[in-house]
Amino acid sequence: MAKETNHKHKQPRALNRLLHQEMADEINDDVSTGTFPQVKKKPARSIRKGTGRGRILTTLLVIILCALLGFGYVTQIQNSQSSYATLSEDELVRLLDETSAQVDTLEQQKTQLSEQLRSIKSAADKQKEVERVAKENEESSGILSGRLPAEGKGVVITVGQRSGHIPASMMFTLIEELRNAGAEVMEFNGVRVVTSTSFTDTESGVSCSGQSVTPPYTIKAIGDPSALQNAIQIAGGVGSQLRVKHGAAVSVVQSDSVQINAVRQSTDYKYARTVE
Amino acid sequence: MPAIIGLIVGVVVGIFIKPDVPVALQPYLPIMVVAAIDALLGSARAYFERSFSDRVFVISFLSNVITAVLLVFLGDQLGVGSQLTTAVIVVLGIRIFSNVSAIRRFIFRG
Repeated sequence: MAKETNHKHKQPRALNRLLHQEMADEINDDVSTGTFPQVKKKPARSIRKGTGRGRILTTLLVIILCALLGFGYVTQIQNSQSSYATLSEDELVRLLDETSAQVDTLEQQKTQLSEQLRSIKSAADKQKEVERVAKENEESSGILSGRLPAEGKGVVITVGQRSGHIPASMMFTLIEELRNAGAEVMEFNGVRVVTSTSFTDTESGVSCSGQSVTPPYTIKAIGDPSALQNAIQIAGGVGSQLRVKHGAAVSVVQSDSVQINAVRQSTDYKYARTVE
Repeated sequence: MPAIIGLIVGVVVGIFIKPDVPVALQPYLPIMVVAAIDALLGSARAYFERSFSDRVFVISFLSNVITAVLLVFLGDQLGVGSQLTTAVIVVLGIRIFSNVSAIRRFIFRG
């Protein structure tokens, strides 16, 4: 303390400054933030003295304004995703440029990819088609030419010889009748009947494609069973001819599963070539 | 308290109504929102300084919003709309920051 009085006496101007500082501090708020010193310590303003109606009105206004703020805020949030209106011309041009460049690139990619797809598709299609045709041909021609065993609905015809001799021409007629009735695959006593099958008369019976067969003859045919049966049993048909003319016993049995296992070796063509 | 109630009501109404902003208003709505936020924070600061007044708040709110919109509108008329928008946003942003720091000082006492 003594030191301070000494100080005062020595430097009255400094004291003066100190007092000034104190006054300034009084003026300033005691909230020691330093940044916002102008905090007024006035009593509540006289605005409050307004009537209740005015207060209610201002409160309502405050509510309305804040509601507007919240409303606008939410609206802007919900709409700001697709808004280009606030962009400048430069930005829009740049955006357009970027977008069109992107579109170009994508178009190019698309063209390239569709080209590839088309080539792959056509190649695959071709290969598939060729395979399919080959398989079809293999199957149908295999059955047709007698290289493959076959199975299906059909009839089994038994021709028993009682007296006399059944000529080869009769057998040929029988086979032709069956063919006309739609027989797809036929077997004659274990010999597959194909386009080149021939019948010739022999001492003991007939020879079928060089293989001699003896009665009773069993003919298996795959086709529509009732149609095949009708072809044989029709009045005046080949069945009655066999019975009447040659005294043969003819029986036709329909079957749901006729197995034809006899196959014919494929012949090597000497002159014929496939057309390329 | 009325301010908070109003805010909640407005947000809820906005969420449920989902209005479309008219094209003419599209450039101004964000500015209006920012200006209103600035006014709201200024009034919050005044509240902490115990000098809050409903009337002053209403007037400052409206004048803030209208001034900001007019400024941007003027900018659009002069062909510098986006720049002026940026300017307004920057100024309002600075004001918002200073208001928030003042409020913070009142809450945490320095």
